Amino acid sequence: MSKIFLPPSGLAEDFIGEIGEEPSEIHLVTFALGEQYGVPISQIQEIIRVGNITMVPNSPSYMEGVINLRGRVLPVLNLRKRLRLSAKDTGKMSRIIVTEVNRKTIGLLVDSVSHVIKVPSDFVEAAPEEVLEIDTDYITGVCKVKDSLVILIDLEKLLKREKIDIKEAINDLQQGGNDGKEN
Amino acid sequence: MDYSDLIKDYLDDASSHLNAFDSALLSLEKDGYKKDIIIATLGSLHTLKGNSGMMGFESLKTYIHQVEEILKNLDDNRIELGAAIGSLFDSANVLRNAVQWIGNNPTFTPDLTENIMALQKKLEGSDDASEKQQVDLASYLGAKTDTIKVDFKRLDSLLNLVGELVIFKTRLNQIETQIKGTINNKSLTKDLNEGLELMGKTIAELQEGIMKVRMLPVSYVFNKFPRMVRDLAKSQDKEIQLIFEGETTELDKTVIDELEEPLLHIIRNAVDHGIEPGEERIKKGKNYKGRVTLTACQESNYVVIRIQDDGRGIDFDAIRKAGIDKGLIKSEDSFDKDNVSALLFSAGFTTKQEATDVSGRGIGLDVVSKNISKLNGHVIVDSVHEKGTVFTIKLPLNLAIIPALMAETGGEIYAIPMSAVDESIKVREEDIHIINNHEVIRFRERVLPVIRLNEFFGLDKKKPKRFYLVIVGKSEKRIAIAVDRLRGQQEVVIKPLDEAFGKSYGIAGATILGDGRIVLIVDIMSFYEKREVSAGV
Repeated sequence: MSKIFLPPSGLAEDFIGEIGEEPSEIHLVTFALGEQYGVPISQIQEIIRVGNITMVPNSPSYMEGVINLRGRVLPVLNLRKRLRLSAKDTGKMSRIIVTEVNRKTIGLLVDSVSHVIKVPSDFVEAAPEEVLEIDTDYITGVCKVKDSLVILIDLEKLLKREKIDIKEAINDLQQGGNDGKEN
Repeated sequence: MDYSDLIKDYLDDASSHLNAFDSALLSLEKDGYKKDIIIATLGSLHTLKGNSGMMGFESLKTYIHQVEEILKNLDDNRIELGAAIGSLFDSANVLRNAVQWIGNNPTFTPDLTENIMALQKKLEGSDDASEKQQVDLASYLGAKTDTIKVDFKRLDSLLNLVGELVIFKTRLNQIETQIKGTINNKSLTKDLNEGLELMGKTIAELQEGIMKVRMLPVSYVFNKFPRMVRDLAKSQDKEIQLIFEGETTELDKTVIDELEEPLLHIIRNAVDHGIEPGEERIKKGKNYKGRVTLTACQESNYVVIRIQDDGRGIDFDAIRKAGIDKGLIKSEDSFDKDNVSALLFSAGFTTKQEATDVSGRGIGLDVVSKNISKLNGHVIVDSVHEKGTVFTIKLPLNLAIIPALMAETGGEIYAIPMSAVDESIKVREEDIHIINNHEVIRFRERVLPVIRLNEFFGLDKKKPKRFYLVIVGKSEKRIAIAVDRLRGQQEVVIKPLDEAFGKSYGIAGATILGDGRIVLIVDIMSFYEKREVSAGV
C-alpha cells in the first residue's frame, strides 16, 4: 500500500481526482485520537484548522459548537467525547474533518490528521472487540497498516445514533450535568 | 384586486390551459386514444370553464361544457376519436379566438351560440353543418404573459445570497470605521463613505425586492378555513359566519406555511368551544349566528393577525382554579388576568378534565405559542367572559433577515430579536431585589422577573456593578434579561442550527457577523417556559 501526503490545499477532492477510484481498494484518511482511526475519503469534503468555535449552550456535551465555513454554519462534533474517550484539549495539530454523510455536513474535531492511505478492501477485518476502547457499534472494522492498527469508523451509524442520544443528553442537562462545555 | 387585474390573471391562465388543450389534441391525433390525456385535458378545460363562468363569460362557459361532453363521450367510447378530433381542433380555435377577443377588449362578451349549436349537432351525431373556424395566425402564439412560475427554492437561494451581502456590508462598514481612525485623507474616507452608503442603499432595495417576490397574500391560509368551519359547525348544529378582513395583507411564503397549524388550533377552539349553540346564544341576547373574524394587518415591520369570536369567552376564574389545582400558580397569588392567560399557553396546562366548565380551551395552545415563537413572533389572548375571545398573533414580515439587538454577556455575544425587545435600561446591582428566591426589578410600577443570560446559558458568572436589562415581551409576559453590555442593533440573517444540537434550549438559530464570527440568536420564548417550570416546582 502506498502513502499519499495531503496536498497543500487540504481539500479531499483534490486528490480523489488524482488517485482514481478502484473498487478493490479503499482510500482512507487517518487521524489520531490516541489510537489511529480512519474514515473513507469519499465521505470527506475537506480538512480545516480549528478556528473560532462558538459553543451552543444547552446542547449535548459532545457537540463542540458551530463554526463559520465560508458563510455556512457548520456543526462541529468532538469525536473524542462522542466516542467516550478521555478528554484532551485542542492544540496546534487539532483539525476539523468536514464530512458529508447522507447529505448532512458535519465537522469532526480530532487530535490531528495523519495521512491518506490506500488499502485493498480485503485488508479490512472485523473488529476484535476485546482490544478496542470504543463501542464496536460505530466501527466498520480494523486494518493493519505496516505495524499499526487503523480503526475504521462507521460515520453513518455514528451520526445516526446521535439523534437518539440527544434525549439522553437532555436528560443529563435536566439533572444539571453540562460536562466539558467549559473549554 | 380590481377587474383589470382579474382579467389579466384570467387571460394568462386561459392561454396556458388552451396550450395544454392543443398539445393534448396533437398527442391524441398522433398516438391515438389515451385515457390519462383525456382526463388531464378535462381537468384543464374544467378550470377554464370555471374561470370563464366566474368572469361572466356565460357563452364561453357553455361552449367549453359542450367540448367537455365530447371528450367524455370519447372516453365512454360513444364517439370515435377519428370522427371527433377535427371538431376538437376547431373548438380549440374557437376558444383561442374568443380569448383573444377578450384580450383585445375586456368588456367584450363573446357570443358562441352558433358554435355551441354546431358542437351539439356533433354530439348528436348529425355532423357536417359545422363551419371550419379560421384562426388568426397570431393567436396561435397566445397572449404574452407577464407572470412566471418560479420554484420557491430558487427564491430561497437568492435570499440567501442577499443575506450574505448584508453580512459583507456590515463587514465593510466595520473596516470603514477602522480606516477612518488610521488614514488621514479626508476626501478619500468621504468617498469611501459615500460609496458604501450607496451600496448599502442598493442592497437594502435588493433585499426588499426579493422579500416582495416571496410574499403571498394571507388569504392563501385564510381560504383554507371556510370549509373546515362550515363542517365543524354543521356537525355541532351551530351556525357560524367566518369573516375575513385585510386578507390581502402580504406575508413571506415561509411564514404563511407555518401559520396554518396555529390558526387551525385557534379557529377550531373558537368553533368547538367558543361559539355557543344557537339557542344558548339567543338566551344570552346574542345573534343566533356565531361570528369568527380573521383579521390581518401590517404594523411597521410586523404582521398582526387576529382571531376573534363572539362566543363564551374564557372563564379566567375557572382557569385560575385549574391552575391552582395543578400547582401551577399559588392560591395566595393575587388574581392577575395576564398571568392566568399565560397559563393557557403553558405546556403542562390541559383542561381536559375540566372540559365542560373551562370549555376545553388550552388544548393545542402550547403548540400554537411554540410555533409562533419559532417564527420570532408572539401570541397573546384577551377575553371577556360571555362576550368573546381575541387571539392576537404578531409576526415579523420575513423570517430570514431580522433586526436584532446585540448583547454581550460572559464574554459571548448573543442576538436578541428586536421583535421581542421593548426597551433596555442601565441598572446597578442594588436595583435588583429578591422575592421568593427569584430576582426581580421594579420597573414602571411593575415587578418584572430578571433572568441573567450568562446564568441561563451556563457561562462565566462575573457580575459587573453596572449592567443592562433588556425588557422583552408584551405587557403580560414581560421579562428583564440581564446582560453585561449592549453592542447596538443590526440586521442578522437567521441560519438554523443543525438538529445534532438537540433542543438547544434558549437558542433559536445562528447568524454570521461581518467579521465572520458566529453569534447565536436567543429564543425569547424559552425564558417563559423556564419561568413556568420554576414557578410550578
